[in-house]
This record gives sequence, structure tokens and C-alpha cells, in this order.
Amino acid sequence: MRDYDAIVIGGGHAGIEASLSLAREGFDTLLITQSLDAIGRMSCNPSIGGLAKGNLVREIDALGGEMGHLIDRTMIQMRILNRRRGPAVQAPRAQADKFSYSRLAKETLEKEHHLFLFMDTVVDFIVEQGRIAGVVTERGWKISSRTAVLTTGTFMNGKIFIGEYEAPCGRLGESAAAGLGDRLREKGFRVGRMKTGTPARVRKSSLDFSEMELQEGDDPMEPFSFETEHVDRPSLPCYVTYTTEETHRIIRSNISRSPLYGGKIVGRGPRYCPSIEDKVVRFPDRERHQIFVEPEGEGTEEMYLNGLSSSLPEDVQHSFIHSVPGLRHAEIMRPAYAVEYDYLNPLDLFPSLESKLIGGLFIAGQTNGTSGYEEAAAQGVMAGINAAQLLKGEKPLILSRTEAYIGVLIDDLVTKGTEEPYRMFTSRAEHRLSLRHDTADQRLTPKGFAAGLASPERMERLRKKSAEIESVKMLLRSARAGSKSAYDVLKEPEADIFSLHIDGLDSYSASVLREVELDIKYSGYLLRQEREIEKAKRLDNMEIPADFDYDSIDGISSESREKFKAVRPVSIGQARRISGVRVSDIAVLSVAVRSRERG
Amino acid sequence: MAHYATDEPVYALATPYSPSALAVIRASGEGVLSIFQPYFTGRITDAPSGKAVHGYVKDECGERIDEVMTVVYRKGHGYTSEEAFEIMCHGSLPVIRSLSALLERAGIREAERGEFTYRAFMHGRMDLTEAEAVEEIVKARTERAGSDALSRLTGSIYREAEAIKDSVLNILASLEVQLDYGEDEIPEEWVFPHEEVRAIITRLRSIAATFASSRLYSEGASVVIAGRTNAGKSSLFNALLKENRAIVSSEEGTTRDYIETEAVIRGIPVRLFDTAGFRETDGSIELEGIRRTEELMEKADLIIYVSDPSSGDDPHPDDDSRTLTVSSKRDITGRDAPLSFSSVTGEGLDEVIDAIAERLSRGTEAPEGVPRIDSLRQKEKLEETAEALESAELSSFAGFDIIAMYLQSALSSLGELTGEITGDDILDRLFSSFCLGK
Repeated sequence: MRDYDAIVIGGGHAGIEASLSLAREGFDTLLITQSLDAIGRMSCNPSIGGLAKGNLVREIDALGGEMGHLIDRTMIQMRILNRRRGPAVQAPRAQADKFSYSRLAKETLEKEHHLFLFMDTVVDFIVEQGRIAGVVTERGWKISSRTAVLTTGTFMNGKIFIGEYEAPCGRLGESAAAGLGDRLREKGFRVGRMKTGTPARVRKSSLDFSEMELQEGDDPMEPFSFETEHVDRPSLPCYVTYTTEETHRIIRSNISRSPLYGGKIVGRGPRYCPSIEDKVVRFPDRERHQIFVEPEGEGTEEMYLNGLSSSLPEDVQHSFIHSVPGLRHAEIMRPAYAVEYDYLNPLDLFPSLESKLIGGLFIAGQTNGTSGYEEAAAQGVMAGINAAQLLKGEKPLILSRTEAYIGVLIDDLVTKGTEEPYRMFTSRAEHRLSLRHDTADQRLTPKGFAAGLASPERMERLRKKSAEIESVKMLLRSARAGSKSAYDVLKEPEADIFSLHIDGLDSYSASVLREVELDIKYSGYLLRQEREIEKAKRLDNMEIPADFDYDSIDGISSESREKFKAVRPVSIGQARRISGVRVSDIAVLSVAVRSRERG
Repeated sequence: MAHYATDEPVYALATPYSPSALAVIRASGEGVLSIFQPYFTGRITDAPSGKAVHGYVKDECGERIDEVMTVVYRKGHGYTSEEAFEIMCHGSLPVIRSLSALLERAGIREAERGEFTYRAFMHGRMDLTEAEAVEEIVKARTERAGSDALSRLTGSIYREAEAIKDSVLNILASLEVQLDYGEDEIPEEWVFPHEEVRAIITRLRSIAATFASSRLYSEGASVVIAGRTNAGKSSLFNALLKENRAIVSSEEGTTRDYIETEAVIRGIPVRLFDTAGFRETDGSIELEGIRRTEELMEKADLIIYVSDPSSGDDPHPDDDSRTLTVSSKRDITGRDAPLSFSSVTGEGLDEVIDAIAERLSRGTEAPEGVPRIDSLRQKEKLEETAEALESAELSSFAGFDIIAMYLQSALSSLGELTGEITGDDILDRLFSSFCLGK
């Protein structure tokens, strides 16, 4: 008899999704967190979504996850990015009231019938015959379970740096989780160090907005969740300002006091989100760098200085912040800092996110070397779904690269690993034209429903939407616009469905019409990709047995053999994506696998 | 090769690539019968498995290429167990080349070594052992490595291809950065770099064009000997053959209007035709013969017009770039005509042969300062790249995402030429060239 079906370690964005997925499927789940007040906290920028990331949020939602609901009810500004740069790469982004977001997340967990919350720190795993059997906590509890999901974020051996100051924290003022990383090292996990950083928070009333540019959100605000009809939230502005020559001079003359440049930080930081000192050093020709001043919530004076993340000492931070127009008298409420933490090499995971080292243990979020709330939540929902699949004795749900950004994210992690905090980019997806955010429900809700997470109401909503899309397409095929059908007219890049005057169209919602228009515009290009997608699918369907012996095959290069053994791909498709593996070795491998199948 | 995927339409010559009475070209993959049907006069799409269908293979313009038998294999039958067919055609090299080119244009690619065996194995042909299948693949790999080493991009062409790849990568990175970051972070509007892309396309096309000269040596040319009856055509034909120890076969033209043979002239493989003479006649058979000769001359790379100065009223055709006039019977007339030769004494023959070789290679010299390529694969990849860039340019009014898709495919064609390129390369370029991140 076990205490719980599942234990989720960590209450961040991955932990929230993982625990909700399990509990909603009816499994008794315990969420253990170091602080019940820190559930769903936004440690860095107070915003959700963005390019590729917004797609992730909509995919999480389509599967039956929570992130879309949370942001829809707590947003304080919303924009669709890149409207003019091509529909396939547009995505929603919203500023969140970070306090409401966190509170709503906790409320949502508390409402869940099968979900239990407990404040403690996990220091070790109980493993029986290679499978997870429970956890040991700092206060000495031994709690048993059949599965576990590990989502420690930046807390495993976390260490923050502000110039010469350093402290064992996962976030400023919150102590790190010590010990677990070392226990995992002993158990054979490949543990590495990564680094990330966050900028200072300044007091709104001390800023001079007349020196900044105003940045308003979209009106009306559009929801992330396919279940949200409309968003009824206040829209607060953000502001834009720029660094000056003086800012750069101050940073350059103090660069030796940065723990990054002084060599104290060994973890690799993200290139796509560099600290201000990195930007100044690497791009000396840039006259100025953009800074976004963003509200952290409705009931707070704290403003987030997006673009000024730093690990320089606080006195240097004061000087360079005060050299920026609009911030000359800024009162710093929290300093910028860098954080370095343990991550586990994701090559030790199956595509289900289950550990190859301990059966029944799933790992999600920043622990796997990613960065970002959305990337964490996406892994959380998949880890939760797959832990539930395991408990039910069913096959894991693996999303392919061709059907979801989530598929790209997880496949990249478990096939290529990562050297820096991994962030989702649209350019990581080979077939991004078919991964539009507005089609996430069509792509994924049936899968989420089949797995038992997405509700019947969601499926009904999708059925209705699909039927509407079909009727609009029929209407367009039969309506004439000049010498062509309206359908064909829409294939032209400049044609716009809202300027077509066709009877009956106005009874459909704008989102349905826009989706139809994009479907039609992209149909030719999508056809181009279809064959490749089909080919990829077939290779992904050729499974490699888990205990396949790579040493037993002749005719394979030793380099490829080592790579196969390090990754242990689950399919020929995955094997092919390992970087640096020869095509002919894949052919030999598939022959060997097929011949073993036949006995 | 793409990746030993099964069911993708492929073809291969199943018999040796050398002139013979009969050749067999085999094609396999999903939908190959319907892909080939438009080019074949016999019905194959609804023929039962194992049936041999007689008919003509025609090209896109309806021109007959050859009279053949096509054996049909439905899925589950035949060597690979895939939908397949086998063309039994005449074993002349031009026929094999035309048929291969036609299949290629129809969307059936040439199979890699071992690919048919591989497919047969993967589709459960139990009479093949695993060892056999693996051996073929491994052998193909070593052979390929050998031929790759020969055709590997070297020196200037490699540097050139790398430079082009670099430019395309820069263009793509400057576009991708706009797709991966919002307009508030990267406010600059991206503008399609027409001039730069045009220059790249022109460069790619001119490198691809250098292949024409090497193709002359690998694929050969067709040369027709024409002239009035008794002008000495057959004597020249025989003299050229005598010079040649590389004659493989000699066969009679199907309508007895011409004799055809393979020869090598100064290293250039040549299909040589000796035609029926021009004669004023109104006999319908003769007229038909003349019509065929004219057709042959139409298609020839070079026409050697043999004139007989001793007959007096010999009409000279226009000496255009495709026609070379030579004078026969030098032993009788003396050497007052240019390029005069005697098939009896052998005098002047060397000069005639030099002139033929010179004419054939005219126009295939590579332009100054353009690196040369010597493989069809390289040429195809260069052209694919150019075409993808052209498509990108044509879609410059569509979304950035569409342009990016074409630039991506240009890059992957170049990548296949110089070595793999992955998505990570683009991100690397992006992070190193742009100051990013809030």
C-alpha cells in the first residue's frame, strides 16, 4: 500500500501542471514544496507567452493544462506579436499581475479533490528495484508513492550572486534545496550547472515616465485558453527607455567586479537573454540598448526593468540604472542578481520525460536545462500525463515535432541535450507553418482527451469549432468573387476575409474566420511539407526495443554506436535526429532492429 | 541520399551501363505506376501484377523515346514488395540516358546503392538475410565515400560554396531574428535583399553551367555525317571507326536510313550516325528516309557535312555552329579545300578529327573566374539552391514565414553540397550577430 499514487516535487510552473494533470485524472497526488506562499511564482519577468512560447501556452491549454486559464484571469496587458511578419509566427504575449497569478495558481490547486499540498523539502528518493518508491524529506518524513515528478527549477543547490555577495538561494531570500543534487549524483545522474539572471525591480513613484516611450497593449485583449470566451481585465501600459554611453562606461569600468567575468560562476548562461554586462562587452558598437519598464501587478509599485539583468554589485547597479533616462532617481526595491543551479542532463530521459535511471520518476522544467515558465509548464503537463499513463498501465503520450512545439521541445532535450538554458524559438521547429497557435486545439485536444486530461466539454467545443470552420470553407467555395471562388481569392497574399462581402459570413466569430483565412492561405505550402511530415512519422513509428544491444550490430561506425548508446533512442526517427550520426548507420540500425523483431 | 526511407519513388538501372541489346530499368515506391503512366502508351495503372505491357515511352512533348516492355508489380509483389515496374528497353546508352532523365523529371529519383535490397528486406522479403542487406549498405557507403572523395568540393569551388552558404545564412538569420523576437525588441523592418539574392542566384547559375563541359566527356554527344550520295560519308565514317579502338557495337538504323555506332573522338564519347545521302527524288520511301535523316540532324550536337569537290556542283550548307564542312577525296582533288582529307591515304584525317573535337567542346568552356564542377549531383544541388532562392524572391510579398521556408530549403540544398547544416547553426548565427534579449 502506498501513501500516494504520485508525488510532485516543486510548486512552480511545471509542478502546477504536473500535479493538476495527475489529480484531474483521479490519482491521489501530493505536491511537496519548500514554500506554499511561492506556488506559481514568477521569478523573472512578469509575463507569459511571446513568440513560440505563446504557442506553447495554447498547446498546454489544448491538452487540458492550466496555464492559459491562469494568465487569462490575471493579465494586465496583452499583445499579439509579429502581426505583420507572417501568420505562422504570430503569438500572444501578456503581462501578468504576478501576485494574482500566484494566488490563483494556489487556489486552483487547493480546489482539486485528489490533490494534497505539503510544505517540506525533499532530500532523497526511495528507490526499490530500480523504481521510485517514495521520497525522504528534510524534516524526516518518508512518504511512499508509485510515481514521482521532479520539478526543482533553480532551487537544486541554487546559489545567487550580486557582485561579491553570494548566498545559497533559489530565488532572492528563498533558500536553496541542498542535498538532493548530491544524492542524484550518487545515483548516477549526470548533473551540471546552469546560470540565469534577473534585473532589478524599481519603485514606480520614483520614475519619470515623461522621459520614456509609452507602450500600450491590444484592445480587445485576446485569451490564451480555448475555453475563455473573452478577457475582462484592465490594461496597463509598459514603458520603453534606453541605456546611454554613460551606462556603458560605468559597466565597462566595473566589469571585473562581475562574478561572471571574475570566474565565480561556472554555469552556462543563455545567449538569447544576456545580462547587460554581456551585451555591453559583446556588442561594443551598439550605442544603446532597449529597456522595457513593466508593471509587476496592479496593487504594487514594483516595476521590472526588462533588459537590465545583471550580477554586478549593488553600488554599480545604482550607478548604471541612474544613468538611464526616466530612471535617474529610481529607487531600487530588489537588486538584480544571477542564479546558478544544478540541472540534470535530459539525455537521461525517455521522450515521455521518465528517467532512464529510476523507473516511475519523471523530470520536468528548469531541472532539465530549460528556461521560461512556458517551457517548464509544457514539460509539467506532459510529465503529469505520462505519469498518469504509467499508473494506468498505458503507453506514454509522445507528441511529435510535426504536431506541436511541445514535441520539438521535448525531442530536442532528450535527443540532443542542451548546453545552455533551452528556450523555445520558432526556428527550432522544421514545420512551423503547421504549428500555428490558433490550431493548437485541433492538433492536441483529441490527444489530451484520449489520455483522460482534456474534458468532454473541451472536445465538444472543438467539434463545434471544426464544424464552423468546415461550413465557412464550404460557403467560400460556393461564393463567387469576380471570376474565381471566394476560396481561391483568399489564396492571394493580400486578400482579406474581412473585406469579402459574402452573405452568412458575419454569423461566424472573427477567430473562426481568421483561422479559415490562414488555412486557405497556407494550404499550398502545407502540402509541400506534408510528404516530409509523413516520412518523419513513419520513421518515428519504427520503435527500437528499450533493451536493444547496440554492440551486437556489425557494420555500424563506432562513433555512431557511442552516440546511440548515450541517447538510447526509442525510435529510428529519434536516432536519425541525433547530431552527427551517419545516414548509412541509421539504415544498418533499422535492418538490425527489424531483423530482431522477426526473431 | 535522403535517408533510406521506404516507399519514396526511386529507380535504378538493373543491367550494366554499357551498350547492349537490352537494358532493364527498375522503379519502386508508392505511386510509381501512376507517376510513369502519362509517359507510357500501354496501360499499366490497371494491369495485374507480373503482366508485361508493350508500348512506347514518350517524353513530355509526346516525342517517342523507345519501344519497350513494362512489367508491372503491385504492392506486395516483386523484388521490393512495393508498387514497382521494370522497363525493358533497347540497350543503347542514349536511350538509357533519356529514360533515366525522364523518370527523374517525373519525380522518381535515382536509387542509392543497396537501396533496393534495403527496401526488400524492410518489407519482409525473408529470402534476404540481414547480413546481405547490411553488406550492401556498407559496401554502398565505402563506394560512396570513394566517389565522394573524388567529387568532393575542392579548393576554389568549396570556398565559393561556403561563401554562398554564409551569405544565405546571414540573410536567413536576419529574417529569423524577426520571427523569433517581437517587433518591440527588433523594431527594424526587414527588407528583402533583392540585389544580394540576385547576385547569389547568378553566381550559382554560372557555376552550375560549368558542368556542361564535363558532361560532354561523361555523357557524350551525337554526331551526324551528312552529305550528298557518294560524297564520301561512309568512307569518313569508316575512317573514324578505324581510328577508334573503343568501338563497342555497330548496328543498323531501324529504317536502314542510317548506321549508328559508338566511338570516342579525342576523349569525347560520340554516338556517330552515317546517314542516307541527299538525293533529289520523289519516291515516297526515299522521301521518308530523307525526313528521318533531317530529324536526326535536328537533334544532333554536330553535323559533319561531307562535300566532294570533284563533283563540282556540291551545295554547301550554311556553316553554322552546328555544322562542320569537310572535303573528301583529297587524293583526287589535292588540298585546296579547307579540311580536306583522303580516306584512301589517310591524309588530313587528323586535322578533321581535331576540328570535330574542337567544335564539340566549343561553348562548354567555363567562364573566367568561375569554379568548375564535375558532377551532376553538384549541379543539381546548385540549381536547387538557385530555384529555392528564386521562390523566396517571388514570395517577398507573402509573409516572412514563407520567405524563411524557401531560404531554409536553399540552405539545406547548399548544406547537402558542402556538409550538413542544422537549425542550431541559424540560432548560433542569430545570437552572435544580433544583440538580443530583454
